[in-house]
Amino acid sequence: MKKRTIFIAILLFFSVFVFMAAYSQEDIKFVDNSAFAKPERAPSLFAHDEHNENAELEECSECHHVYDEDGKKIEDESSEDQMCSDCHAEKASGSKLALMKAFHTNCKGCHVKEKKGPVMCGECHVNNPAAGK
Amino acid sequence: MHDVYNFVSGPLVWVAFIVFIAGSLYRVISLIMLVNKKEKFIFDYMSFKYSLRSIIRWSIPFATVNWRKHPVLTVVTFAFHICLIVAPLFILAHSVLIDESWNISWWSFSDTIGDIMTVIVIAGSIFFLIRRVVLPEVKFVTSASDYVILAIVAAPFITGFIAYHQWFAYPNMMIFHIISGEIMLMAIPFTRLRHMLLSPFTRAYMGSEFGGVRHSKDW
Repeated sequence: MKKRTIFIAILLFFSVFVFMAAYSQEDIKFVDNSAFAKPERAPSLFAHDEHNENAELEECSECHHVYDEDGKKIEDESSEDQMCSDCHAEKASGSKLALMKAFHTNCKGCHVKEKKGPVMCGECHVNNPAAGK
Repeated sequence: MHDVYNFVSGPLVWVAFIVFIAGSLYRVISLIMLVNKKEKFIFDYMSFKYSLRSIIRWSIPFATVNWRKHPVLTVVTFAFHICLIVAPLFILAHSVLIDESWNISWWSFSDTIGDIMTVIVIAGSIFFLIRRVVLPEVKFVTSASDYVILAIVAAPFITGFIAYHQWFAYPNMMIFHIISGEIMLMAIPFTRLRHMLLSPFTRAYMGSEFGGVRHSKDW
């Protein structure tokens, strides 16, 4: 009986780490695509911290941008407390890009400009990430 | 890889489309000029009505005796040619690239439909290959270039299929896919793929002769 209690305690203890790993901001592995009603492709591989270290990004607003009404980027503001889909709906409205195009422009646009990082569809939308890496 | 990708998906696309469009115009114009020089009398009996009648009739599966005589070929050739033209225009990934390049929200269908159409084109290519090898009457009129143009047409679809499913060598397969598509476009005016441009003229000529001169149907 005692053995079993210890076993459960240990299990509970470690399960906390599993949850922490799954939900912590530090461990983003994919771009969250839950805002798409019917996503056609696998979610983009994206290791948040690793990416920012490799890309030597200091400013959160580099990606988590804020634009004003006139479509101008506000330099000192950032939006990491929001989801991309809070602003970008699946359909474009006004100067706001549609969600998919916003993702593509934010990620691929920078990769093209910097000549670094993935630019072809399947380099981000990896069908079977376990097999590839 | 960035430089290669940028080159094949940038300047090379322009080259391919310019060669395709200019070459096609050259083909059609030079054909009309040749007819004008050598067999001007054709223009006398070219009829818009009989031309259109023949083109429409032959564009409908099983509407002609010849289509009915070869039911398998009819189904395959219609499915093949429709998918060959429609799939590249409306594949989702192509639509995304068009939007990124020119801010045009182009139509697209789901990846599943694109996948099925691609399989139809590849299967059709295999059918035409076997047909060329097996049927004596087709083999008789086949030259090496016919196999080459079949490969040119099949290549973008095979590489696109493998790249989409990410089975192997993804980045390279993608580059091959783009280059093979550009080769196909550029090959159209200068190989027998020009039937894409000229077959309506051939059909119109036959329709006009049968309708206007022989007073009979050409189907």
